[in-house]
Amino acid sequence: MEILVLIKQVPDDSVEVKLDPATGAPNLNGVEAVVNAFDTYALEMAKRYIEDNGGNVTVATIGDDDATAALRTCLAVGAGKAFLIKDASFAGSDTTAKAYILSKAVAKIEEINGAKFDIIFCGKEATDFSKGMVGVQLASELGVGVATDVIAVNPAEGGVTVKQETETGYNVIDLATPCVVTIQKPDYDPRYPTIKTKMAARKATINEITAADLAVDAAKVGEAGSLTKVLKLYEPPKKQAGVKIQEETVADSTMRALAMIAEAKVL
Amino acid sequence: MNFHFNEEEQEILNMLHDYAVKEVAPRAHEIDEEEKFPMEARNGLAEMGMMGMYFPEEYGGAGLSYLSYIAVCEELAVHCATTSVVLSAHESLCSWPIYKYGSEDQKKKYLTALASGEKLGAFGLTEPGAGTDAAMQKTVAKDEGDHWVLNGSKVFITNAQYADIFVVFAMVYRDDYKERPYTNKDISAFIIEKGFEGFSVQGHEMKMGIRGSSTCSLYFDNCIVPKENLLGEQGKGFKVAMTTLDGGRIGIAAQAIGIAQAAINETVAYTKERVQFGKPIWKFQNTQFQLADMQAKVDAARLLVYRAAQAKQDGEPHSHLAAMAKLVASETASDVSRRCVQLVGGNGYSREYPFERHMRDAKITEIYEGTSEVQRMVIAGWLGATK
Repeated sequence: MEILVLIKQVPDDSVEVKLDPATGAPNLNGVEAVVNAFDTYALEMAKRYIEDNGGNVTVATIGDDDATAALRTCLAVGAGKAFLIKDASFAGSDTTAKAYILSKAVAKIEEINGAKFDIIFCGKEATDFSKGMVGVQLASELGVGVATDVIAVNPAEGGVTVKQETETGYNVIDLATPCVVTIQKPDYDPRYPTIKTKMAARKATINEITAADLAVDAAKVGEAGSLTKVLKLYEPPKKQAGVKIQEETVADSTMRALAMIAEAKVL
Repeated sequence: MNFHFNEEEQEILNMLHDYAVKEVAPRAHEIDEEEKFPMEARNGLAEMGMMGMYFPEEYGGAGLSYLSYIAVCEELAVHCATTSVVLSAHESLCSWPIYKYGSEDQKKKYLTALASGEKLGAFGLTEPGAGTDAAMQKTVAKDEGDHWVLNGSKVFITNAQYADIFVVFAMVYRDDYKERPYTNKDISAFIIEKGFEGFSVQGHEMKMGIRGSSTCSLYFDNCIVPKENLLGEQGKGFKVAMTTLDGGRIGIAAQAIGIAQAAINETVAYTKERVQFGKPIWKFQNTQFQLADMQAKVDAARLLVYRAAQAKQDGEPHSHLAAMAKLVASETASDVSRRCVQLVGGNGYSREYPFERHMRDAKITEIYEGTSEVQRMVIAGWLGATK
């Protein structure tokens, strides 16, 4: 089984990021760049899949040179090969443009690897903007099936069976391969790197792919190829402090609450 | 002296930091409260390749610098002092003497298993009547031709209950010992496996600090030890023990600065939150000056520790440097952790918070692997001989 895991480098989500009042952009000074948490779950699930069933895991991201750190992190915890999809013209791409670029990159990486991918794993969303779109849009570009919020992938006749988490429970879905799955947090954590895998990842080759390699249509990438545009980022208004009602009995508290509601002419 | 870590070492330390924050720190309280051996961390560190990180790759290690190993002992102690000593007893006290004095066969058989983390190591020198006076060993090893027979006991052995391989010391029996009492020239080192006939681990010390570490006694009751398990030359065991402890002390000194740094970090955070007289107590100059003094002392101690580690790494004489590092670092840890309890006040004394644990954990660093008084003896010995 050939698996591609698509990752994104994001600001460390354990740090509270504030908007810079001067620029209106997120202030990322001193915030470490990490691999998107959902992508780390996707990679771990992919790695477990090939450990159980055989195969290879390739990892790829769209980004600049800084993103090689994220790819090396992935190489240290199970990916066999890494591809950086890099081009100045890709800057400002929204999810639609990114899905288009990735669809081209998938074909190129398949050509380099000499094998077609059976499954493409993505995190269900990135922890920076939480759009949750790229995986589904990529499946649409590629014309293959997709399952979202997946917490388990197992081999099945002609494809895979996946377990999808929903708000009310689970769906078990058969998917023909090739397919795309977007991964929700499973009930296990990603593995830690070892000294040896970390050292090997430092020395590993990161393959670079540019717009020229992909023969992309310039009108479909970057801002030109984006259907959406971010007009403004702003912080949600702070919640007003509430009123605490704590009378001696529940009945008194209720009466007091009703009186306040009546006073405010809500009722 | 340059103590900078290269990029590769820094990445490994970052990786360990990440692991310690996520996996070690959250268990530190439970480990202490329940006297629970940190098995998850022991296994996790083994998987990561940390259990023999400075030994050559051919023996299952990672071939990293000794200084990085010391930084790992320090980082682990910031999050859990017990976990730090499990690693340091394993790596400094059991694996190192086998690496340094072991035959090729012994290294292949024992060091490889220890450095890969498959087996856990321990070190047995202290006896009920031979603590600081380590030359008063009562454990005796008798040469029985094709094997040794050991009789005696050891106390306060770190990792004992969970260890698979032990480096232990014994007097080699001679017939005239009554007329000519044993001296340290009769001591030899042996490698003992957990399953050897006549060997047992018993008891469990109830301790003030590092309560999750397994501290037990070892008993040798006509214990049969293969001839080839003599470690180093016969009669040179005292040297094996003392040089091993020179290295062990650097690991304990690193543990001490880790504990002290944890106490400072947590006290700064606490005092910024705790409001009295209308402002966080951090805003009071007494708080800031005390913590500033403490940080300066910890950094000074850290430099001594790194200097000793660098000297050991470079193969330079480091016995006195290790003694200075351990003396200053351990006394700093006790002082700093005690003062942090005082700054925090009532909550500092409460077991709901980590401050009193740091104070209890710090104390042992002044005692094990040579008390502070032993360190003074070593330093004075070097002074007397060289100045």
